[in-house]
Amino acid sequence: MTVDGVVPGSVVRPASVAEVQAAVRTAAAEGRALVAAGRGAHLAIGAPPRRLDVLLCLERLDRVLAHEAADMTVTVEAGCSLARLAEVLAAAGQWLPLDPPRPEATTVGGLVAANLSGPLRASQGTVRDLLLGLRVVGADGALVTAGGRVVKNVAGYDLPKLHVGALGSVGVIVEATFKVRPRPACEEAVALACPEVRAAADAAIAVRDAVEPLWLEVDGTTVFVGLGGLVEEVAEGRAAVRAVAAARGLEAVVLADGSAVRARLAAFPTEPAAAVLRAAVLPLDLGATLADVEAAARAEGACVRWAAHASCGVVRVAVAEPAAVAPLVGALRPRIAAREGTLVVERAAAAVKRGLDVWGDTGSGLDLMRRIKAAFDPAGIFAPGRFVAGL
Amino acid sequence: MPVPLTARLRALVGAEGVVDRPEALAVYECDGYTLARAAPEVVVLPRTPAEVAAVVRLLAEARVAFVPRGAGTGLSGGTLPIAAPVMVCTSRLREIERIDVGNRRLVAQAGVVNQWVSDAVRAHGLCYAPDPSSQPACTIGGNVAENSGGPHTLKYGVTTNHVLGVELVLASGEVVQLGGMVEDRPGYDLTGLVVGAEGTFGIVTRATLRLTRLPAAWRTLLAVFASVDAASEAVSAIIAAGIVPAALEMMDRLIVRAVEAAYGAGLPAEAGAVLLVEIDGPAAGLDAQAARIEALCRAHGATEVRRARDAAERAALWKCRKRAFGAVGRLAPNYCTQDGVVPRTRVPEVMRAIAAAAERYRLRIGNVFHAGDGNIHPILLFDERDRDEVARVLAAGRDILEACVALGGSLTGEHGIGVEKAAQMPLLFAPDDLLAMTRLRAVFDPEGRSNPHKIFPDAKVCVETRTPRRQAAL
Repeated sequence: MTVDGVVPGSVVRPASVAEVQAAVRTAAAEGRALVAAGRGAHLAIGAPPRRLDVLLCLERLDRVLAHEAADMTVTVEAGCSLARLAEVLAAAGQWLPLDPPRPEATTVGGLVAANLSGPLRASQGTVRDLLLGLRVVGADGALVTAGGRVVKNVAGYDLPKLHVGALGSVGVIVEATFKVRPRPACEEAVALACPEVRAAADAAIAVRDAVEPLWLEVDGTTVFVGLGGLVEEVAEGRAAVRAVAAARGLEAVVLADGSAVRARLAAFPTEPAAAVLRAAVLPLDLGATLADVEAAARAEGACVRWAAHASCGVVRVAVAEPAAVAPLVGALRPRIAAREGTLVVERAAAAVKRGLDVWGDTGSGLDLMRRIKAAFDPAGIFAPGRFVAGL
Repeated sequence: MPVPLTARLRALVGAEGVVDRPEALAVYECDGYTLARAAPEVVVLPRTPAEVAAVVRLLAEARVAFVPRGAGTGLSGGTLPIAAPVMVCTSRLREIERIDVGNRRLVAQAGVVNQWVSDAVRAHGLCYAPDPSSQPACTIGGNVAENSGGPHTLKYGVTTNHVLGVELVLASGEVVQLGGMVEDRPGYDLTGLVVGAEGTFGIVTRATLRLTRLPAAWRTLLAVFASVDAASEAVSAIIAAGIVPAALEMMDRLIVRAVEAAYGAGLPAEAGAVLLVEIDGPAAGLDAQAARIEALCRAHGATEVRRARDAAERAALWKCRKRAFGAVGRLAPNYCTQDGVVPRTRVPEVMRAIAAAAERYRLRIGNVFHAGDGNIHPILLFDERDRDEVARVLAAGRDILEACVALGGSLTGEHGIGVEKAAQMPLLFAPDDLLAMTRLRAVFDPEGRSNPHKIFPDAKVCVETRTPRRQAAL
């Protein structure tokens, strides 16, 4: 396993939290740089590490420690895969409604550290909305408990949030507790093929206003609506989506196996490409943003595909040609920033990342972020260079 | 307080925005937590976010500590000035600056009252989901500081789930924009850290809120049980059936009797517990779900289940819950509302612990709480003229929180730590956990000048413990 082409000096596979602590203490004592990983499915996220001495693979920490179905909570070790966790939860008719690509290769630690999400975020939120507590090994090797195991808790600072999306830059996540939810009885999808991107974005917003979709995606110029719940709820939603389609002269195609459609759409970020860009804009700016993407790709002669979490304003653009990535980023970032949005290079081949600021502007909080990094990782042992602004 | 500083504050915010007469300062000596009191030396009421920043810059130059305050409805003494001479009130920052219906966002200044936000967008079929019971008075700034909840958090989440960004004035006077209108900003989730920091990271002057679509329909049920245990089992059965109600509220015998005595709602006096269940969402399927809930309640011993048929009946059912605090006011001169959390399956056990504490300390304690979240609110009745009883109320409160922690819960679900529970933080967190928190504090406020001596057990509550007044309802 390499991280952006950097080969780690050694790979450590701890079998216990104590071994993680020992590995961190050793790294700290010897001034070694350490990157925590699960099964490596999402290591293409982030900037290349400045240094990499130890790759800490957590996949042996894979126990589901406590699934309290009646409390709707689950506590799980960081190395457990989402697919295995899903099996355990499904036995009680529940799920952790976060659906990033490759659940079989995605670990709980990676889910939190990379703040991964998928189509379900439209109705279920993201990691920050479902995470109740964490146990994290800090730079001094201490095991820190943040948050708790109950669904409502405001005792002290909301420290779990510090680690969500922090890419392991302030500690090694070893355990997480989440809220879980009942799995909907039915899940169905409805597809609306649109003539062009703006029409697709408009149709998606019209659907959002007409029903409460479980998920809502724009893939190319097709809108996919996920409907979930009881049979009668799904039927009501289907009728409402059909009405939206009819009013726009679009055909609505019902796809009975909604979760299979969703899994296919969720896989978008990991499909082969030189890079996947990720833009976040306001939901109503989706159409204009997609039109910008189309125009910029045409101007660069680049071959791109896109998919969006429409109601959240999150767009992913897969770029085929390595050489087109930097010019596209350069062209799109100012346009998106003008709409209060952001553009990150979510995944890219190591060669493509070179000379590219994958994260972009982080706004006026950057100084606080630097101070956080300095406070929680003073010697810079955790994934140096991987996070925003070279943190 | 050197006079020149007060004069400079007046120059910044106008004469009417600075309060320093002792009789006027008495208003600010406590918030909803009345068991400890201390008046600040001066209260500043800036009119705009820019004035807040100017005031804080001035305080930074003078190296003076301050306490941020919204409407003062907090229930953990978060706005009690301890070694902080200046109180900065955001209550005059009352502007809703931006309403973006299409994107379901709203930007509110810190002093905007929670209820105003939902009022401003209701016509568009939207609302601001967090609905603490103090929502006609409490402010968005205070909600952000405390990460406030409310009865509908079971399905809709708490404040942190609905705040996308904040403008924060750091103790240095520097203004930072964290998060914003758009989701998924790169970098640490600073907004998520500021929410619930109880004003110790600086003063929030603006917040970008997520708006929620109003449910198309709802069903409200009230079920009567012989005991809290039976009602708790019904709660577990509803959850096990895969239903996530919008609200799941419980009242115990003492509260039911108080409500009945005060308002004659027709609740059976022999009821051991009453459960209020609300489901909402698309109209289809709600009736079937309501029927299922009713059947589950009856299967677990409900002697009576009422179903609201219209908005008026729904309001009547909710009135029992919302008026509980007023009704309790008739039972004793004073009451103190505790706030603790247990895993929801441990509710019967914590209820037994509360009953034991009532017996141990010779107190009357009623319970009206968010059963779906396991968020308990024991109401301890007392008479403030009885010093011994006041001491017993404090001791019983501590015992109840210890029981919550022992059952795997938390010291607070929505009221915050403030000064009230700072000494008990070590029950929940090990020294390394607390060290991580104080490290974060030092990032935002290295000199510890924004709301000092809160949250952490070093809090020096060197304030006068005077006769308490009746506490505000949660």
